[in-house]
Amino acid sequence: MADRRRINGPAGATIPPVFDDASTRGPKSIKSRSRPANATRKMYLKTGVTPSASGSAYLEIETSATPGVSGLKLSCSVHGPRSLPRSAPFSPHIVLSTHVKYAPFATKQRRGYLRDPSERDLGIHLEAALRGAIIADRWPKSGVDIIISIVEGDQDRETSQLQGDEVWDMMNALGGCITVAAAALADAGIDCVDTVAGGVAALVQDAGEDSIPTVVVDPIPSEHEKILAACCIAYLPTRDEVTNLWFRGDLPASDIDLYTNLVEKGIQASKNANRVLVGCLAETIQ
Amino acid sequence: MTTTAPPTLAIPGQLLGPASRYQPGPGTHLHDANLYASLLGHVHVAQPQQSQQQQQQQQRRAPGPAKRLTKITPAPAPTPPAELPTISVSVAAAGGGAGAGAVVVGDGGPVAGERKQKKKREVLPEVGNVVLCRVVRITPRQAVVAILVCGDSVLEAEWQGLIRVQDVRATEKDRVRIYESFRPGDVVRAEVISLGDQANYYLSTTRNELGVVLAVSEAGNTMQPVSWKEFRDPETGAMELRKVAQPQPQ
Repeated sequence: MADRRRINGPAGATIPPVFDDASTRGPKSIKSRSRPANATRKMYLKTGVTPSASGSAYLEIETSATPGVSGLKLSCSVHGPRSLPRSAPFSPHIVLSTHVKYAPFATKQRRGYLRDPSERDLGIHLEAALRGAIIADRWPKSGVDIIISIVEGDQDRETSQLQGDEVWDMMNALGGCITVAAAALADAGIDCVDTVAGGVAALVQDAGEDSIPTVVVDPIPSEHEKILAACCIAYLPTRDEVTNLWFRGDLPASDIDLYTNLVEKGIQASKNANRVLVGCLAETIQ
Repeated sequence: MTTTAPPTLAIPGQLLGPASRYQPGPGTHLHDANLYASLLGHVHVAQPQQSQQQQQQQQRRAPGPAKRLTKITPAPAPTPPAELPTISVSVAAAGGGAGAGAVVVGDGGPVAGERKQKKKREVLPEVGNVVLCRVVRITPRQAVVAILVCGDSVLEAEWQGLIRVQDVRATEKDRVRIYESFRPGDVVRAEVISLGDQANYYLSTTRNELGVVLAVSEAGNTMQPVSWKEFRDPETGAMELRKVAQPQPQ
């Protein structure tokens, strides 16, 4: 779908040329992971950043130790509950609508102003994750809009475009989206069963094609040689329930427990994120 | 029995106590015989009014001279569930002045607190609520209104409501005419009788104290109610027909 209403930049990427130099040759190689395999990156979360919205939150995940890798910056605003449009059918529950949009400058490849299929995909996953946490029948005949803009995507700007796969970045973005949306929903005063948080775990191969793959938490694609599989989990800690599971990749058939292991690590990552979320909400009401 | 007091602040999903000790109020939910918070805010425990009244009656009875029983009164029914205190979670902070337009996002605690107090949680009209609404348009079968106030709280969103011709008054329903009951622009006090269809709440003005509370004449003056079905323009003296709400003592 062409965007005819705005003056768009050139469709292709506009990365300034980088001239090969002795000083820049170093970081071109794969950077190794700077954290232990079961440690997530530090996270900053704050509610109430958008005064005009019913509820809002801002999430920032720290940049990696290696220079040039940007962190994740998300801003979420919740509007509503408000009346449904006249054309909508009667609904005894609250109607969730989620919008996830990358800012045009958030990633290496410049994004358009209209949502593309991958952004819609993120929105659908986010809706599934939140629907399990919201007590929907408290708000009949009303709708709520959850709008997330990804201000900065989690990408290494130094690697070439061909090297990284967008899909692993989307996993990390979804994990952050779930956490920030839960904070904004709590800020808006919409009834939730629990605070839902997202976490990502991945199966990576770091030393060549034949090495034994390892499971890591909160992966950064540029820090690993190859990502075999990843899963993003939305988890309710007090209920011990998973509301959304997004799995992608191929697992080696040799180990049957690998899938369970990956899911468990994803839950562990989302528990870590939940600790930040609870701390942030406790700060909000004081 | 007294194990632990409930927390003063609650986060969604936080355990408040067993269901055998509290009744669930607004902002809480029940799961596995335990009560959990479903909102972010302050926890309130309200003692049931019935037991307070009973206590007051007992206190009142105690000092006076004992009266002979002249009539048979039913024994008070044992209602243990009704005597449980209600626990609820509310977003707004309890007490405290309303903050001035403090929208500055700072790290200071008081600023954030003021912002929270200023912000009220959106409420929805529910069946049985008395609402204030403005008439938007009328047809021979119904009056379309916009609900502005629900109970004591002003709604942020505007909800559409419908007063059908058979819900205008309780008697002589077949003689009701909408244009003799409401006009566009009137402010009406009405009761919600149904969540209605996809767009409208269904409202009713069948009680005496419900109906038009504020009306403007064709000449543009605010009118005064003179009877149950008439308003009078104080300047021109013209009478106009309305379904008048009985004036309520403040």
